[in-house]
Amino acid sequence: MSRADAADDGGLAARLRDADLGALTVPLGIVAIAVLLRPVVSHPLLLGYAQIANSMLIWMLVVASFNILLGYTGLLSFGHAMFLGIGTYSVAIGVAKLDVAFLLAAPLGILLATAIAYLVARMIVQKGEIYFAMLTMAFAKSVHFIANYDPGGLTGGTTGIAGGALPGWIETVRGFKYVVVAGWQLDWYYAIAIVFTVAMLLMWQLVRSPFGRTLVAIRENQKLARAMGIDVRRYKVWAFTFSAAFAALAGVLLEVNDQGATLSALSIPTSGDVILMSVLGGANYFFGPLAGAFVWLFAEDYLTEFHTLALPLSEYPLVTFEVSGLLTYWQFLLGLLFVIAVLVSPREGIWGLLRNGLGSLYGRLRGDAE
Amino acid sequence: MTTMFSSLRLDTDRLSPSGAAVWGVIALLLLLSFAVQPGLFVDQFIGGLVYGVSLILIALGLSIILGLLGIVNFAHGALFMLGAYFTYQLMSVWGVSFWVALVVAPTLVGLFGVLIERLVLQWLYDETPITGLLATFGVAMMIQEATRATWGGTPLSVQTPTVLTMGADLVVTTVARIRLFSVAVAVVAILGVYLLIERTDFGLSVRAGVLDREMAGFLGIDMPKRFVAMFFLGSFIAGLGGVLRGTAVGMDPMMGQQFIIITFVVVVVGGIGSLFGSVVSGILIGEAVYLTPLILTSLAKVSGVEALAIPGIGGLVPYLVMIVVLMVRPRGLFGQEGFLE
Repeated sequence: MSRADAADDGGLAARLRDADLGALTVPLGIVAIAVLLRPVVSHPLLLGYAQIANSMLIWMLVVASFNILLGYTGLLSFGHAMFLGIGTYSVAIGVAKLDVAFLLAAPLGILLATAIAYLVARMIVQKGEIYFAMLTMAFAKSVHFIANYDPGGLTGGTTGIAGGALPGWIETVRGFKYVVVAGWQLDWYYAIAIVFTVAMLLMWQLVRSPFGRTLVAIRENQKLARAMGIDVRRYKVWAFTFSAAFAALAGVLLEVNDQGATLSALSIPTSGDVILMSVLGGANYFFGPLAGAFVWLFAEDYLTEFHTLALPLSEYPLVTFEVSGLLTYWQFLLGLLFVIAVLVSPREGIWGLLRNGLGSLYGRLRGDAE
Repeated sequence: MTTMFSSLRLDTDRLSPSGAAVWGVIALLLLLSFAVQPGLFVDQFIGGLVYGVSLILIALGLSIILGLLGIVNFAHGALFMLGAYFTYQLMSVWGVSFWVALVVAPTLVGLFGVLIERLVLQWLYDETPITGLLATFGVAMMIQEATRATWGGTPLSVQTPTVLTMGADLVVTTVARIRLFSVAVAVVAILGVYLLIERTDFGLSVRAGVLDREMAGFLGIDMPKRFVAMFFLGSFIAGLGGVLRGTAVGMDPMMGQQFIIITFVVVVVGGIGSLFGSVVSGILIGEAVYLTPLILTSLAKVSGVEALAIPGIGGLVPYLVMIVVLMVRPRGLFGQEGFLE
């Protein structure tokens, strides 16, 4: 139903629904995720474990930043972890080794990642898609090598940076972190949630701006876009750069959350995980990557904690299976799910299925009501 | 220029001055390191050769499937790994001799590859390369986890037959015979693939398929049958590489992932779609990985600057080679225009 039709119907509710709520759905969704994630996952029926909500929000941010590339521009990068890692290492080096204030180290780290991304993108963004993927991997591998090589004792080699890497205004009480500034105390989760919300809103603005629409045009048909006078290379370069900046921001959060920097944050398998999460969730949708990251981390935690499968409910077991041995290999199940998702529809993912499923259900219900 | 093996002329007679200078410097450095450490040089050279041919064995299958089907098969490294683990299963668990395993394990891997093709890849022939890459990425993950579940996460090894454990004397150094044997088997396999693709009617029809799958189909070639056959062949060779690697070095669940990434580098450096390019770049990268650290240590010894001997640089070299090659020649060394672009 188009907007004009709704206005003709005259109903205030219809007008509200079509005009204002449409534009607000995504921002409200972002805020809802940030506010509700921890209470929901820490409910005893789900994970019963509040800390994981922190990691979930951070990884959602990483995967969403990656999806600017894969989902919106159609660029497959195998080196996204490089920017995440530059963010974490910059803060860790700044705080633990050079004694620089966090508030200086973090922006510098993001700036560094952005600058590197810009230069790398200028070099490789016009290569064919397989060449592009390989070259991003090569650059990521080089950054990984440097961190592993431990130049000047800065990056800590294979062990990474662990001690003294927390900024002074973080206090840890019984495993929970709090941001303490001038007598004010804020739960670290909410600090992440605020950054998450702001960054996601920025990304949403980015993808629905003329800039973002141009990226979609490039994804859909690069030759046509060029024929229409779009400077494809420039747009791709900036998409890569923005994506890296948000990844580095997530890296900054990850550093504080994990109290240091680990080499694995920079590694190729991490880049691979990011791709998997993004595609599993649904690269076509803004919320797809968030769904992917959620399912991934949820599955990892839920399945590896699981020891016996009791049916129908653990309180009233009729049948129980000893599954702990099998579920250690949860990545097998995830790989299977992933292959099926790609075969069924490579760009829809979980979010796409959910959306279409709910959409048709809603339509059927309404059809019955009328 | 369109056949897979014979688009192989690098313009050596029109070598630019800067290119000549680069080759000259490399030759000088090699001579220098040979003069400083002759025993180690030969040792590392053979190490590079062994590594290079195992890369080629994986790269051939990858390159054939990429050329024929346009699918970047990420699961190909997992097939290589399965070759190694099947060897373990045959030799250490069931007590079969190495020579039987050398034939049986690759055959099993070949059948496994056909299974993957029938179950997953055949649905992806008309999709974009990214889709194929993603799907096979998932398949690789499943195989890796299944391997971990079946054989455990710790590295394993098999008992090499005594004929192959002895050393072979090469004047300045001795090397284990298994390494020379690996190179010999790999060379035979590569020659076999070359003859099959270039000299038989079957190879002719496959090359036709690489050029234009649809047109070849119109002309009455049963392409799906060719796909299955080539998939078997590609997986078989990768499995063979796995057997050799597993016998000489051992196996662990990460080897598939590690090798597939380097193999991609090999294929891209050689030029996508060119089997000859894969062979050349496999040797090039294998040698670069093993000789670069040697050159650097020799330089450090001669010049007295210890900082030149960067530890672990070998792992980075393939990527540096790739960045340089792709900057200078955007389609790799022997790549064809318009292939997967």
